[in-house]
Amino acid sequence: MAITASFIIVSRNDIPIYEAEVGSATKREDAAQLHQFVLHAALDIVQDLAWTTSAMFLKNIDRFNDLVVSVYVTAGHILFIY
Amino acid sequence: MANYLAQFQSIKNSCDHIVIAVEDVSDLWPTVKGRFDERLPFRRACLNNKTRNPVFVENLNAEFILTTDSRLRSRFPQEQSLFWFREPYATVVLVTCEDLDEFKTILKPRLKLIVQNDEREWFIVFVSRAHPSNDSATKSAKKVYDKVQVEFSTKKRERCCKFDIHGPEALFWEDLESKIMECVRNTLDRRVQFYEDEIRKLSEQRFMPIWNFCNFFILKESLAFMFEMAHLYEDALREYDELELCYLETVNMIGKQRDFGGVEHGDDQAALLNPGNKPLSQIVQDDSFREFEFRQYLFAYQSKLLFKLNRPFEVASRGYSFVISFSKSLTLHEHKLPFCMREVWVITACWDLITASSSEYKAGVVAPDIEKEFYRLQGDLFSLGRVKFLRLAYLVGYGNDIERSPVNSASLSMLPWPRPSVWPSVPTEASSEVLEKEKLILQTTPKTKHFGIQRKKLPLEPTVLLREANRRRASLSAGNAFEIFDGHSVMTDGSGPDGSSKSPNPQKKVGISMSRTFSSPGNFEGPPDRPMRIAEIHVAAQHALQGTISDEDLWKSLSTVEEFEKKYLELTKGAADNYHRSWWKRHGVVLDGEIAAVCFRHGNFDQAAKSYEKVCALYAGEGWQELLADVLPNLAECQKMLNDQAGYLSSCIRLLSLDKSLFLNKEREAFQAELVRLAHSELKDPVPLDVSSLITFSGIPGPPLELCDGDPGTLSVTVWSGFPDDMTLDSVSLTLMATFNADVGAKAVRSTTAVLKPGRNTVTLSLLPPKPGSYVLGVLTGQIGQLRFRSHSFSKGGPADSDDFMSYEKPTRPILKVFKPRALVDLAAVISSPLLINEIQWTGIVVRPIDYLLKGAILHIDTGPGLSIEKSFVIEMESCANLSQSEPDTPNSSGSQNGSPTAYKQSEQLTLEDGKVNFPDWASDVDSVIWVPIWAKSDSLPRGSSSVSPQRPNMVDGMRTIALNLEFGASHNQTFERTIAVHFSDPFHVSSRVIDRCNEGTLLLQVILQSQVQATLTVYDAWLELQDGFVHAGRGDGRPTLVSFPLAVSPTSKGGIIFNISLGRTIGKDENGAEQPESILNIRYGISGDRTSGAHPPVAMEYSGSDSARKDLTFRSVLVLQRPVLDPCMAVGFLPLPSVDLRVGQLVPMKWRVEILKDMEDKEISKHNEEVLYEVNANPENWMIAGRKRGYIPLSKKQGSRIVISVLCVPLVAGYVRPPQLGLPNVDESDISCNPPGPHLVCIMPPALSSSFCIPV
Repeated sequence: MAITASFIIVSRNDIPIYEAEVGSATKREDAAQLHQFVLHAALDIVQDLAWTTSAMFLKNIDRFNDLVVSVYVTAGHILFIY
Repeated sequence: MANYLAQFQSIKNSCDHIVIAVEDVSDLWPTVKGRFDERLPFRRACLNNKTRNPVFVENLNAEFILTTDSRLRSRFPQEQSLFWFREPYATVVLVTCEDLDEFKTILKPRLKLIVQNDEREWFIVFVSRAHPSNDSATKSAKKVYDKVQVEFSTKKRERCCKFDIHGPEALFWEDLESKIMECVRNTLDRRVQFYEDEIRKLSEQRFMPIWNFCNFFILKESLAFMFEMAHLYEDALREYDELELCYLETVNMIGKQRDFGGVEHGDDQAALLNPGNKPLSQIVQDDSFREFEFRQYLFAYQSKLLFKLNRPFEVASRGYSFVISFSKSLTLHEHKLPFCMREVWVITACWDLITASSSEYKAGVVAPDIEKEFYRLQGDLFSLGRVKFLRLAYLVGYGNDIERSPVNSASLSMLPWPRPSVWPSVPTEASSEVLEKEKLILQTTPKTKHFGIQRKKLPLEPTVLLREANRRRASLSAGNAFEIFDGHSVMTDGSGPDGSSKSPNPQKKVGISMSRTFSSPGNFEGPPDRPMRIAEIHVAAQHALQGTISDEDLWKSLSTVEEFEKKYLELTKGAADNYHRSWWKRHGVVLDGEIAAVCFRHGNFDQAAKSYEKVCALYAGEGWQELLADVLPNLAECQKMLNDQAGYLSSCIRLLSLDKSLFLNKEREAFQAELVRLAHSELKDPVPLDVSSLITFSGIPGPPLELCDGDPGTLSVTVWSGFPDDMTLDSVSLTLMATFNADVGAKAVRSTTAVLKPGRNTVTLSLLPPKPGSYVLGVLTGQIGQLRFRSHSFSKGGPADSDDFMSYEKPTRPILKVFKPRALVDLAAVISSPLLINEIQWTGIVVRPIDYLLKGAILHIDTGPGLSIEKSFVIEMESCANLSQSEPDTPNSSGSQNGSPTAYKQSEQLTLEDGKVNFPDWASDVDSVIWVPIWAKSDSLPRGSSSVSPQRPNMVDGMRTIALNLEFGASHNQTFERTIAVHFSDPFHVSSRVIDRCNEGTLLLQVILQSQVQATLTVYDAWLELQDGFVHAGRGDGRPTLVSFPLAVSPTSKGGIIFNISLGRTIGKDENGAEQPESILNIRYGISGDRTSGAHPPVAMEYSGSDSARKDLTFRSVLVLQRPVLDPCMAVGFLPLPSVDLRVGQLVPMKWRVEILKDMEDKEISKHNEEVLYEVNANPENWMIAGRKRGYIPLSKKQGSRIVISVLCVPLVAGYVRPPQLGLPNVDESDISCNPPGPHLVCIMPPALSSSFCIPV
C-alpha cells in the first residue's frame, strides 16, 4: 500500500520553509493537511530529542498510525522531516 | 505442579512478611511477647540483594511465631521446599535459668537438641528475671549466662544475648535486632541461592518438551515474592521482568496453541493494575497461561512494585508501552473477542494508568526532566484513550458531534475499523431505536464553515463506515470464509490504508483458530439479506457495545450525546493539560482547539475564542499556514459572536493574509466584503488594525526624491495589496522617519481616496514641507470607513509572487532627501556702471536659478523713490546663459546682436501687472535677464565745479533702489528678496577754469567735460548761457571758440571746450527783468552704449529706429563764474632773514612789509581809520616771540602806502621749523596778495655751546 510521503524543511524557528508531497499513490485530498498536522506535532518530540542525542538523523521519532515521522536535524537546527 | 497454583496464591495472599520462629524453652514467651512485638516492624535492616550487595531496607515487617504454632507445624516437607519463602527466617530460643546445675543437667542438652538443626538460623535469648536489687540472683543469672555463652557462642559468631526484664534494655534490643537481621540475612541468602539454583535448572530445560512454564513461574514468583517480603523490591521487579520475558518467549512459540483469554465478562475492563483480579487457577488452562490475563497479571505486579519503589513515572511509561503492545495482541485475537473489545480495553487501561500513576505521583520530587516526561506520558495516555473513545462514539453514531479537525482526523482516519468476526447486526427488537436514530440523522444539519468556506470535510474514518460494515456483512453472507476467519488479510479492494502497519507478521497468523462462540452475543440473529442503513449500523454497534462494555461509567458515557461530550471534554482537557505541563505546547494547544470547538458548539464563545486564539497564535507564530487556515475561520466566528470587532477584523485581515492558495478567491472576497461591511457600517468607534501582512509598501526604485527646504512635493510609493479585490481606502498617509534623528521627523504625507487593486499599485502622496534631512519609509496608515489601519511592512519592490516579497527589515534606502536651506536663486543687477539720469533706461536684473526650477515664478518689482518703471514699454526677458562669458569680453556688444549665443538664446516680452512679472516656462532653469525700462528723475540741474574749488559730483545723489521679491517653488512657497542699487548719473561732469588772457579784459573759460558713463558720448553742439556780469567775447552766439564738433568723449575720458568771455553786462538784460545768477552750459549730445555694459540711448529712442531720425539729447549744467578773480588791493611780504644762520636761542627779527596796492577807499579794513589789525601766529613750542603779537599798525588807504612790521623771535628748537606767520584778520583774504606770504620753513641751527643752558649739577 503506497501512501504519499510528505517532506518538509523547517527552519530553526519552526517555520516550514519547504514542503513537498512525494509518492506515486493517488493523493488523498486531505492528506496534505494531515501530514502538516502530524509533522507539526512531531516538532514537540524533536525539540526534546534533538538535544539528547548527538545523532543528526532521528529515525521513527513519532508515528501516527501508519504515518512514521523521521527527522534529519542539521547543525544549524534546521529540520528535514518526512 | 499446576495444582500448587491455588495453594501458592493463597499462601501469597496470607503471608506478606517474614516469619521469625520463637522456641520458647522456658515458657517465657507470654511474658515477653508484648515487648518483642513492640519492636516490629524493624525500622532499619541491612539485607543482601540478589547480587549479595548490602541493601538497607526500612520498616521491614515481621512476625514472631512460636514453633509450636500450628502454622509452622503442619507442613509437608515438599511444600516446605517449594514455598520456602514462608518458612521462618530466624529462630529465637528463649531460655532462662538461675541455677548452674539446672542449666548443666536440663537446659543444656535440650538446647543442644534444638540448635542441632543446621538449616535454621538461631540464637539464644537468655532472659534474666533477677531484680537488680537482688544481688545473689543477679550473680547466679550472670554465671548461667556466661556458661550459656561459653557453650553456644563461637568465636566466629555470637549467638547469645541477655535480656534483663527489670534492667535497662536499650542495648538488648539493638543486640537482638542485629542478631535477628544476621539470621534473616543468612537465611535469605541461602534461600535465594536455592531458588536460583532451581530456576537455573529449569531454565536450562526450557526448550525440552517436558518443560512446564507453570513450575518455572512458581519458582520465579516465589523468589520474587520473597524479595518483596524482604522489601527488596528492585530484585523482585527484576524477577517479574525476567518472568515476563520468558513468558513472551514461550507464548509465541510455534506449535504451542494457547487460549488467549479475554472473553469472560468483565474482561473488557483492563486489570493491568489489579494483581488480584483473577485467581491464578483461572489464568491457567491446561498447563498454559492465558496471555490476556497473565500479561496483565504480570504487569500488575510490576506496577505494584514500582509504586512501592515510588516510581509512578515508570508505571506510566511501562504502562503506555504495555497498552500499545497489548493492543496489538488484542488485534491479533480480535476475531475471537467481543465487538470493540480492544478499544474498550485500551480506554479502561489508559484510564486506570492515569488515575493510579497520577495519584501516586508527587510533583516536584523527581528531576524536572522526569517530571516533564511523566506529564507527557499522561498526555499520551489521555490522548490514546481519547482516540479510542472517539472511535466508539463514532460507531454508535455521535460522529456529527466530533469535530472534523486535523487532530481528530489524523487520529481516526488512519485507525482501522474494528474487525470482529462478524459485523454486528441489528437486533430485531431495536427497530424503534433505528427509527429514532434515522430521525436524528435527518435532523442534524451538516455544519457549514464560516464565511461560506467550502472544504472537503476531513475524514474521521479510514473507509466509509456504511460500506465497511455492509461489506463485512456481505462477505459473511456470501460465505467468504477467508474474509471472516482472517480479518487481517490485506484488503483486496484497496480502499484506504486499512492494512495498517500494526498488522502482524502474516506468518504468525497461521493456525489461528476461529471460535464462533467467542463472538459477541446477538451477532447471529439471522443472515443479513440487505445492506444495513447507517442508522442500523449505529444501533447494531450500540447493542454490540452494550454487550462488550461491563464498565458502567464507560457505558454511560456512550449512552447519550451529553455524556459523551462530558467524557470527551474530560479526556481532551486531561491530555491538553498534561501536554502543556510537559512543554509539548503543540500537542497541548491543538487539543485546546478541540475544547474550543465544543465550547463553540455550546455557545461558550468566550472560552472558545480564548482557546482558538492560542491555537492560532501557535500556528501563526510558526508559520504553518494550512493548519492556521483551518482554525482561523472558527476564531473569527467566535469573535463575531462576541462582538469583538477589533478581533474579528484582525482575524479577517489574517485570513486574507494567508497564502492565496489556501482559500478560493470567492472565499477571500467574502473576507474582504466582511471587512468592508464592518468598516463602513457597524463600528461605533474607529478601530485600529494592523494590516502589515496584507498591505506592504516600498519606495519607487531609483534615487530618492530630492526636495529643497520648504518645498512641498509629491511622493510616489508602491503599495502591494493582498486583497483579492479592489479596495477603496478613504485616506492613506505615510509617515517618514528621519534618518538623522529617530525621535523627530515622523512626517506624514497624505493622499485622499485611493483604490488599491490587487497586487501592485502606485500611490501618490502629497508631502508637506518637511525639515531638511533624509527620510526613510515609516508607517503606512489609512482609513477604510471607521477602520484605521496601519502597516509596518516593507516590500522589497519585487513582484508579489516572488519569495522575498516581504521583508521585515526596515528599509535603509532613503526615500526622500530634503536639502538644508540654501540659496536657490540669485538676483543681481546686470551692470554696476551708471545709467543716464532723467532718461528712460533699461536696467537689467539677472535671475540665476541655482539648481532649482523657477517654474511659474513671479517677480515683484518695487522701485524706490525717485525711480519709476516706464509702463508704456514692455519688459524684456532674455536668457543669458552666456552672459557671464560675454560680459567681460565684449562689453560694448549688443546682446541681441551678439552672434554666437543666439542659437539657443531666447527672449520674450513680458508685461508688468501690478508690479509683478510672471516668468515664462523656458526661464525656469536658465539664467536670464529681465530688462526693465526705468526712469530716474532728478529735478535739480547738475552743477559744474571750478578749478578753484574742484568737487566731484556726489554719487549718492544718483543712487536709486529697486526692491525685488521673487516668489517661486511649486506652490510659490519660496521667496527671495533683494534690493538692488542702480546708479544714475549725468552724462558729463563739468568743471571749468578761467584764465585771464591779459588782453582787453577777456577771459578764457575752459569747460572740461568728463564722461561719467560707460558709453561713448558724442557732443554735437554746446553753448553757454552766461550769468550776469559776463558776456561772450567774439561771436557772441555762446558757442565755443576752440573746438570742432562733433566731439566724441570716450567712457571715463575727458574733453574740453573753451569759451571766450569777458566781463561786462549784457545789453538788454533789463528787458527780461530777471537776473541770471548762474551760467548754464547746454550740450547737445548723442550716446552710443549698450545696456549690458552701462548707459545707453534712452528706451524711446531705441524704438524710434534709424540714425536719420536721431534725436539728440541735451545736457544742461550750471557753471558758476566768479568775478573778479585776480584783483588784490593789499600785499604782504616776508622780508628776508639776516644772512647769518639762525640758531636756537638767538634773537631773530622777523619782518613783514604790508603795502597797499590799490586805493582802498571803498573797503572797510578796520574800524579805526588808517589802521590795520595784524596778528603774528607762531607755534609756541618752536618760537618765543618778543614784542606785540597783535596790534594795530597805522597804514594809509592810499595806493603805495607801506609799513614794515617787525617782531623779535627766538627759535627754540633746531631743525626746519615753520616761521611765524603774519595775518591781517580784518582784511578779506581775496584782497591780499601774499604769494608767497613767507618761507614755508626756516632752518634753525643748534645753539652754540653755551654754559647758560647748562643745568647745575
